[in-house]
Parts: sequence; C-alpha cells; structure tokens
Amino acid sequence: MDKPKISGNKITVPSDHEFLTDVDVFLEGLLRGFGTDESVIADIAISVSELVNNAITHGRKGTGNGEVEVEIQRKDKKVQISVTDHGTGFNPEDVDDPLAEENLLKEVGRGIFIVRSLMDDIKIESSDQGTTITITKSIG
Amino acid sequence: MQLSDREQDGVIVLEPKGKIMGGPDASLLHDKLHEILESEKKKVVIDLSGVDWMNSTGLGILISSYTTLKNSGGQLKLANVTEKIQSLLVITKLEGVFPAFDTVDDAIASF
Repeated sequence: MDKPKISGNKITVPSDHEFLTDVDVFLEGLLRGFGTDESVIADIAISVSELVNNAITHGRKGTGNGEVEVEIQRKDKKVQISVTDHGTGFNPEDVDDPLAEENLLKEVGRGIFIVRSLMDDIKIESSDQGTTITITKSIG
Repeated sequence: MQLSDREQDGVIVLEPKGKIMGGPDASLLHDKLHEILESEKKKVVIDLSGVDWMNSTGLGILISSYTTLKNSGGQLKLANVTEKIQSLLVITKLEGVFPAFDTVDDAIASF
C-alpha cells in the first residue's frame, strides 16, 4: 500500500507522517457533514493527529502491514473515532507525566495527555500485535 | 503548513500558516530556525495569527526553537497566540515559558 484508501467512514494510510494531512482532510470533512462546531472539530482533529502520529511511529516497529486505520462513527450526539496500528504496542502507564517539572521542556511526550484533556473519553487497547485507541467526543 | 519569514527592525519574524501537526511541518520550521541561527540572527518572533491549530508536535517545535535560541544567546517570542493554541499552552503548563504578545510590533519592541 502506497497511498490512502477510503472505505465508507474509514481511511487507511501507510505508516508515514506525510499522510497525516490526508487523514485530517477526511476527518474534518466528515465532521463538518455532521454539522459539528468548528472549535470542536479542531479539538477532535488535534486529538486524532496525536493518535495517528503515535500510530505511525509505533506501527513502523511491528512486523504487521505497517498501515494505520482511522474509523469515524457517529452515535447520536457523539462521535467515536478509533485509530489502529499493527505495531508492537505500548504501556500507557509507562508514559511520563508531561506536567512534572523535569519534563516540562521535553519536546515530546504530551500527545496522550492532550487527547485526555480534549476528549470526553479515551480507551486504549494495546498488545504486542498492535494498538487501538478509541476516543469519544460530544458534538452537541 | 506554509512558512514565510521576514526581517523587521533586526528581528526575524516567522509566519507559519495552516495546521502544525507533524511530519514535513516539523522539519520545515526546524530547518528554517537553524538557517536563522547560522546567519547569526538571535532575535526571533513567531507570529501565530495564521495557525489554525497545532498539536504536541507543534508545541515540541516551539520548545525546541526556544531552547535552541536561548542556548545560542538568542530569544524567541510569540505574537498573536490564538485562543486554541493558548488553551493548549495552559493545559500543558507551557504558558509561562514563552513570552507572548498581542501583536508582532509589541513583540519586536520588547527585545
């Protein structure tokens, strides 16, 4: 696979950061179609970009197909988005506290923290076969 | 993201536009900053008025720019921080790290 593939409300991209924009255009288009407020769209887009960035990084470490899948579902007044990679997984407990004094000026390590701050709910399922992170946000 | 730059009163003003989300964006801003440092310029303002939003990669770029300039005897200041970016700076406790000004002119005058 060398280019994004769209099927319904799902986009699959190769594990390369150059495809972040493709995911964002697809996501924001769907959210606007749902009539979502622009500020909420930005919060969701920021969060998904964090998850896709991580998925691309982790996905490259695995022996799987190296693809990242993003699926968007509308459920009543909420939107649920899952981001899946086929990498080697990670333990959320191992992530340093980005607000600790010694970590404040680190250039990386804030992604999941920002997602937790912006979204209503986050569910992380990770194993050595890959990771799926599902976020939920009310869209009014 | 698109990036342009100009010089005003001896200060380099960087003007990123669009979304700063990672990948090519990160290297574009990083390379530009190092180009500035090699030219011996030490005063930099990043005008954020044209940035729709940024994620943690964008924050990482700001931190990298801030520390790189500081370690070289320079200074980085922000101007026109949008509401969306300001809320990220508050969430991550970085709002006190970067000197921020309402306008580019105010930021330049502060050097």
